[in-house]
Amino acid sequence: MLAQQLVNGLTLGAVYTLIALSFSLVMGILGVLNLAITELFMLGGYFGFTVIMAHLPLPLALVAGMAGAAIVAIVIEKLGYQPFRTAPVVTPMLSTLGFSIILQNVVTNLWGSDPLQLADEVLTQRYTLGGVSVSAMQLTVMGATIVLVAALAFVVQRTSMGRALRAVAENRDVARLLGVSASRVTLIAFMLSGALAGAAGVLIGLHYAAITPYIGVEIGLKAIAVMVIGGTTRIWGALIAGPLIGVLEVMTVAYGGSQVRDFVVYGFMILILLLRPQGLLGGSRSDQGQRV
Amino acid sequence: MTSHLSKALWAAGLGAALAVAAALPARAQTAEIALGAIVPSSGPFAEWGRANTVTLQLLEKQVNDGGGINGAKLHIVILDDATKPAQATNNLRKLSGDDHVLAVAGPLTSSAAEVTFPVANEMKTVATSQASSKPGVAKLNRPWAFRNTIDEGVLGRTAVPYFKKTFNIKTVAIIFDAKDATAAVVGGRIMPALMKENEIEVVNTDPLSFNTGDLDVSAQVTKMKALNPDGVVVSADYSQAVTVLREMKRQGMIKPVVGSTQLISSAILKAAPEIPVIAPATFYATMKGDKPEKFVAELQPLLRKTAGLPPEIEPSMYDANIYEIASIYIAAIKASGATGKPEDLDADRTRIRDYMAKLEGFPGLGGPIGFNDDGDAIKAFYVLQGQNGAWDSKVRGCSAAPGHPGC
Amino acid sequence: MMSTYYAGLLADVGILLLGALSVYIILATGQLSLGNAGFMGIGAYMTSYLTVIAGVPVTLALVVAAVASGAIGVVVGFPALRLKGIYLAMATLGFGEMVRSFFLNLGAMGGSEGFHGMHHISLGYIWTWAAAILLLIVILERSRVWLDMRAVRDDETAAGLVGLNATTIKVGAFGFGAAVAAISGGLFAHHHVYIEPGNFSFERSIDFVLAVILGGSTVGPGALVGAALLVMLPEYLRFLAEWRFAAFGALLVAMLLVRRQGLLDRAMFRVFALRRAA
Repeated sequence: MLAQQLVNGLTLGAVYTLIALSFSLVMGILGVLNLAITELFMLGGYFGFTVIMAHLPLPLALVAGMAGAAIVAIVIEKLGYQPFRTAPVVTPMLSTLGFSIILQNVVTNLWGSDPLQLADEVLTQRYTLGGVSVSAMQLTVMGATIVLVAALAFVVQRTSMGRALRAVAENRDVARLLGVSASRVTLIAFMLSGALAGAAGVLIGLHYAAITPYIGVEIGLKAIAVMVIGGTTRIWGALIAGPLIGVLEVMTVAYGGSQVRDFVVYGFMILILLLRPQGLLGGSRSDQGQRV
Repeated sequence: MTSHLSKALWAAGLGAALAVAAALPARAQTAEIALGAIVPSSGPFAEWGRANTVTLQLLEKQVNDGGGINGAKLHIVILDDATKPAQATNNLRKLSGDDHVLAVAGPLTSSAAEVTFPVANEMKTVATSQASSKPGVAKLNRPWAFRNTIDEGVLGRTAVPYFKKTFNIKTVAIIFDAKDATAAVVGGRIMPALMKENEIEVVNTDPLSFNTGDLDVSAQVTKMKALNPDGVVVSADYSQAVTVLREMKRQGMIKPVVGSTQLISSAILKAAPEIPVIAPATFYATMKGDKPEKFVAELQPLLRKTAGLPPEIEPSMYDANIYEIASIYIAAIKASGATGKPEDLDADRTRIRDYMAKLEGFPGLGGPIGFNDDGDAIKAFYVLQGQNGAWDSKVRGCSAAPGHPGC
Repeated sequence: MMSTYYAGLLADVGILLLGALSVYIILATGQLSLGNAGFMGIGAYMTSYLTVIAGVPVTLALVVAAVASGAIGVVVGFPALRLKGIYLAMATLGFGEMVRSFFLNLGAMGGSEGFHGMHHISLGYIWTWAAAILLLIVILERSRVWLDMRAVRDDETAAGLVGLNATTIKVGAFGFGAAVAAISGGLFAHHHVYIEPGNFSFERSIDFVLAVILGGSTVGPGALVGAALLVMLPEYLRFLAEWRFAAFGALLVAMLLVRRQGLLDRAMFRVFALRRAA
């Protein structure tokens, strides 16, 4: 059973990694907690479902989810972040909360509050290796996570856009002095994080094959914990922290008791915040957040 | 305009307004009888609330087309509690105190009922929940609180033996939603006791649970699978139970499932059609009989036309329950001769309360209805088996209590 | 004779006001707490235990719960010193979730089944507490204590240089805030006469923060305006039926866009003061 639980934990971890990355893209660069990301994740899931239920192929569903979420992310950036650039961090956070309330209501009215289910699941072939059973969809989710993380890392480390992102993250004013278009950079950050959340929504939605307008809520809070544990500014940190927390959660359920699961996960997050606030992979002490 | 003239115009205008104001309530007094309803039209149970609204509007139209009640027009004031218990309490206050309703149908959830029923007692207005099945909620709030539902313990006493017999169950694993009060009580207390009564062994020594909203229950299902029980008890609302069933199917754990009324829905039939699901219900859309068939025939097209509801929607148990509640109120008003006049309000409400406390054999959609001393319904129920996309009625039971006639 | 509907709404406003004030106090030292629902829960369960099981009168129970919660707040405040900004906010979020999970598992107080048995308190009683604490804060705001808190918020290093003990101030604020939140919880428990862990979730913590930010994050009475807004607005938006929440979200964004410091601010009070002098 242990090996099977590990696979469960890794799948869950992939979910957390993708959403944590979406959070950390905006958090690391702009210092803002974008509470609408959980609903972008949920929206991606609904877009993906719509495509799949129309019997169109999986890659199209992925594109639809990512594009749809990215577009909504742009709207949120324009209305919910840009006007608050100079305000204390809590203000854009609350305005993104406003957007998440709107999105939940709209989705409930369009698709209903009951679970939307796929009649036939996607990629259901199962592979069994030594007593451990894993489905093709699960492997796709885990594989896609690694690919997306690697792609993001490539963009951030190797491209000029990535350099611009990092420059704004370090010091917005100096970056602007050096000719970086800060507003364009923040737009790209929001779009990327939206696309990532949307991709997560499609993949994860298709894996679990049943979504409601409220799937983002619980998972979002845990993903924030994962972001903190991995290090808010470290992309590879999310890739490590996600599976770590996923496995921790699964093992707590399997061997401890499902009741104390939340207690353990948030307790661990607080511990990391206290002992190593920059996260497991974080470099410098980045706990000096902006004034709230 | 001279100041005298303007003053005179003011006085005339004020006088006219007062005269109109005095006249209006007089007209409304004899023309309208108001009932209230509290339903969750937004939030996670929005669909139930909206379906309930359509159901009540149907009843209102049926009654008014038939001449009203005692010559007066029926008006059902429906308020949304947004699935927030605090809003439900304020809704009751508004309905009872400001809208002067004779009785209230709702609230839907047990969490809302727990805090709204005390207010019903404070405002001396009958409130009857259409869906709350957490044990003891009405019992703690007598005499003004009622529920048109049956205590899950009573239902389980018939469902579990059927489950055991049909699938030859000797061992079960129990998994429940720890964040949902009803599901936690059923999964943590009622089902284990019922298993013991029926000599079924519960193989998971520590409780297996998850939280409302969890997407992933793979760890719990893997653990269950390793214990290899004959059957599984899933105590959760159907929107969460769907997650469990799908995971069971994904991991190849095709075992019969038993649960509470919370499982009853069309959604759960789609989750894993090969897994037989046993759950009790007081009504289901494909029920046979004059009354239920007529009800479904009238309500279903209306539901399907409503914006915001899925096109394949069917009348649910909660729609049937709230229809019955409002019908009982109307019967109570007719029988007691309530007029809806403001000066008789307190007396009218008390008459409704007494009528309900003594109610026996009221013709409901699934059979005769009465209320026991705890305020819960005495009505017929059916143990349903859901498989391959359809519900099948297997056993008929009755929640009669000692000292009250049966169904 | 007030309609009981409005009485019920006012009770909710009073309870939310105290929760908002608990966030306001802590925010005044530059710390954002997203977990005050946890302190509210501690207050609710503790007061309920005292009145129902230990038979203590409700006022005494509230005081005891406030002191105990304040102590827990101080304990939380110390490690909080190491964190700043959004990291502190996330830690408090985690704390709030842990408290909720704790009560979910506390069988002695009902766990997920909730806890009953409290007796009902009147609207007047709720507002006695709410008004008293609001008054206390308004008075404190004009005092040296609040000036010290603002100094710490604006620049901790500089504050240290002029001899302020930032540690005492920040930790003290956490304790004070926790105590006020506990009173909010105790009043909540005795107004609704039933509590369950779900009442004290992240959503509740966010409501507190929303009330402060919308009503005015720089002055105490802002919490009052914000609380009234958050309770009354959903009621007035009822005519929008199933778009009620979307409208609320849109209004929230709009309000922040139009007036980001919240409805009330210090400039407004200065205007009133000038007028009085003139």
